[in-house]
Amino acid sequence: MITREEAQKICQQALALTTFPECHLTLTASEQAYTRFANNGITTASFNLRHNLSIVVTRHGRTGSVSINDLDPASLKGAVKQAEELAAIAPPNSERLPAVGPQEFPATFDLDERTAAARAPEMIPHVKTIIDAALQEKMVAAGLIERSHRVTAIANKAGLFGFHRSSDSQLTTTIRQRDGSSSGWAGQPSMKLAALDSALLARTAIEKCKRWKNPQKLTPGNYTVVLEATATGDLVRLIASGFSARNTEEGRTFLSKRGGGTLVGEQMFPEFITLRMDPFDPRQPSSPWTPDYLPSRPITWIEKGKVANLAYDRYWASKTGQPPTPAAFSFGRGGGGGSLIMEGGDASLQQLIGSVERGLLVTHLWYIRPVNPQTLQQTGLTRDGLFLIENGEITTPVTNMRFLESPVRLLKNTLRLGQATRVRGLEGGIMIAPALVAKDFPLPSISDAV
Amino acid sequence: MLTRRQFIGTSASAALAERLFSAPKDSKTPNPELEKLADAALRRAKKQQATYCDIRIVRLRDQRVNLRMTTERGTGRLLSVPGVAEDSSFGFGVRVIVNGAWGFAASPVVTAEEIARITNEAVIIAKANASIQPRPVKLAPVKAYRDRWVTPHEKDPLTVSMAEKIDLLTRVTTEVKKNAKVFSGSASLNLRSEDKYFASSEGSSIQQYLLQIYGNVDATAVDREKNISRSRSYVPTQAAAGWEYVPEMNLEENAQRIREEVLEHLAAPPVKPGKKDLLLMPNHLMLTIHESVAHPTELDRALGYEANYAGTSYITPDKIGRRIASEHCTFIGDRTSPRALGTVGYDDDGVKATSFTIIDKGIFKSFQTTRDQAHLIGEKESHGCSQADSWATVPFQRMPNVWMKAGPPDTTLEKMISEIDDGVLIDGRGSYSIDQQRYNFQFGGDAFWEIKGGKKRSMISRVSYQARTPDFWQACDATAGPSYWRQYGTTGDAKGEPTQINSISHGCSPTRFRSIDVILTD
Repeated sequence: MITREEAQKICQQALALTTFPECHLTLTASEQAYTRFANNGITTASFNLRHNLSIVVTRHGRTGSVSINDLDPASLKGAVKQAEELAAIAPPNSERLPAVGPQEFPATFDLDERTAAARAPEMIPHVKTIIDAALQEKMVAAGLIERSHRVTAIANKAGLFGFHRSSDSQLTTTIRQRDGSSSGWAGQPSMKLAALDSALLARTAIEKCKRWKNPQKLTPGNYTVVLEATATGDLVRLIASGFSARNTEEGRTFLSKRGGGTLVGEQMFPEFITLRMDPFDPRQPSSPWTPDYLPSRPITWIEKGKVANLAYDRYWASKTGQPPTPAAFSFGRGGGGGSLIMEGGDASLQQLIGSVERGLLVTHLWYIRPVNPQTLQQTGLTRDGLFLIENGEITTPVTNMRFLESPVRLLKNTLRLGQATRVRGLEGGIMIAPALVAKDFPLPSISDAV
Repeated sequence: MLTRRQFIGTSASAALAERLFSAPKDSKTPNPELEKLADAALRRAKKQQATYCDIRIVRLRDQRVNLRMTTERGTGRLLSVPGVAEDSSFGFGVRVIVNGAWGFAASPVVTAEEIARITNEAVIIAKANASIQPRPVKLAPVKAYRDRWVTPHEKDPLTVSMAEKIDLLTRVTTEVKKNAKVFSGSASLNLRSEDKYFASSEGSSIQQYLLQIYGNVDATAVDREKNISRSRSYVPTQAAAGWEYVPEMNLEENAQRIREEVLEHLAAPPVKPGKKDLLLMPNHLMLTIHESVAHPTELDRALGYEANYAGTSYITPDKIGRRIASEHCTFIGDRTSPRALGTVGYDDDGVKATSFTIIDKGIFKSFQTTRDQAHLIGEKESHGCSQADSWATVPFQRMPNVWMKAGPPDTTLEKMISEIDDGVLIDGRGSYSIDQQRYNFQFGGDAFWEIKGGKKRSMISRVSYQARTPDFWQACDATAGPSYWRQYGTTGDAKGEPTQINSISHGCSPTRFRSIDVILTD
């Protein structure tokens, strides 16, 4: 993979090609290896390399952008010229700010060399472990193991340069009965491929699948729920877009106050709810810079139930006299997740289940879509294991249900927290989240899906 | 591992791509230089005992122009934020079968040496995969083709000046912002092309040039006293077409319409929930078709190949020949419809584009298939549904265009409305969610009108409907005639792990469904 010096050289070469006063470059290179399996066999495996250079040039407030994956000198020259031509005819941007100068970016701990280099010999044994376990139970396994290695460099004509390497991996599996009557899921994202525990994942998914056989239909309605950590992450990460300072101050988020103003400083949630970001947390990769190319720093969004901060990008900060927010991911641009952390408690999942008189245990959630972008109401479904809890014990497998809820109301209704762990939902949301117990979770209809 | 020399490249690869893919418009054969490059993979694979090999050499280009206008609070100044961008990506992917197992590898460095090296990588992967392979891969037969296919068009949209595109969007966005009560207006154009060369060890050599055009206009309104915001969008048919299609989009005229409708939406009263009849317009129903008809009739889902992510299907092979919808419902899978986003000359297995009946008058007839899966349900040939979204990704089963046949010519929109006592007319796309076997779904829309006593009344808000797929399609009792039939595209269809994106079109006429659960949302 490309080194810091090599990235610097490519960037210098591209920056030297433009006569425009401003030029920003983002150079990425990535390597991905994965193996998919289904019906107890490998179906697809791939090894691919990609790279990309984004060139953004600006003159007289007009900006043109070109991205290419051809990095030879002639192609670079052509791409810079093309960006300049686009900028020449683009309308001026009313919200443009001068380029950011040199920055000291913090060191983050996002790379595991062994994960970054792993190939089939290190991945296939995990697949075999899961398939063998499924075969032993006369069940059917499907899943994915993947690892990625990514390099990102940023540079501009004002002297900015940043270089970042990261790696990540994950293993997920869905194990079903042969007749399709039950399904169980387990997944583990890990910064280190070596830490993936395929045997544990196989056991967890098989156990779910066994317990979920012949689910019973429950009357739709509001239920107390125990969300496993993945289900919490599936929903809570979606609160991120609501923290955009601009959208909030323009009256378009759940933190907008009726008639104007914001809810910053208000005690909106129970005291045990804290939501923050930390680019230095070793449990998950992040980015040393913000989307505005400023150094990332830890920041708290909800502090002991109180709304602590909004996310100001450079433009909105300049309009409102606030400092730009050092969040590694932009809330206002649909980002979030990434280095998002919801603090947990001490309770084990078993203890959470034990605390519920009557409720439902939810393994994870699926096909979550926004219904109202302002209240953050979402809809989606439970999947791969839903169980009735009675008097602190799991008693009955339950047919899947649709939910209609916002992460805002979920956090307001949260009663207690389990231990926090890194999770990655089916739809890609990564964060550190705890299992939790919440009351009045709306489940308005039944899904026959298994 | 990619070396620095490979990373930076040793030749002018942008110029190489230009040379490889340029050809006279009426040429019917691929560029011989592409064939020579492909030969490096085919020969190397043969030497490595691969029983099958194909290579795709692909250049993707994506041009995006957008403009957002908002009024600055306090000063009343109009703030314009434009975006003008062009992306391109060039590379190749090699697929092999060795010891009965697939292997795939890809690289952005398009040279004969790198193609041979990456073919070796694919072979190594296939050999490793063969260790856990319950049965060998078997491909349905396909003819060998040597052909060149181009999306029918008069003027290549990527050659039209950017100034013309910016000018159009400026006029459109200005139109939305003419009413100061509209908080923000935005418009965009997205023009995509794909140069794709495919060669296989079975003798095919196919060069294609595919074009797609998308546009949209959005308006947002905010009521700070009530603390609510609403939007209204105009999304014209996304089309596989040339620039000559753009005037047909009528962006300016529709910008005026949504400017007024967003304010109507902001003031619209909430729906009274309950069982209601639905009249779904084609720009809304297309997504319901996509989610509840097109996805569940994908064979790979039905057989469990997507169980870990996209899910399986409530339509299983034993449902062939059984009723799953009302007699008004006939659906065709197709990769040949003019201007449809999924229309191609050949799929990524090298199968010539075709069309086939999925559901005939409510009876399930056939699944979408690829070469490596057709035999699993006893079929002799593939329906040509193999697709990869990039040179770097693996082709697998993706849906073709799936469209619903129009009703009789005398079934008009007015007639269908007149037969509704308590219902909702839904226009445009909103929130959509469906379970992993495609049973339970919930769909919103972009705008909603109440139908009372056989008449379309004023706009209402906060509408979604929930249904169970087989019940919903059994509740379909009328679809309007051919003059109402429209096709709309969807460009972000996600499936597979790692996720790939597909663009396809779904056509239909306005269609009526009886007694569906309508719910009140936030």
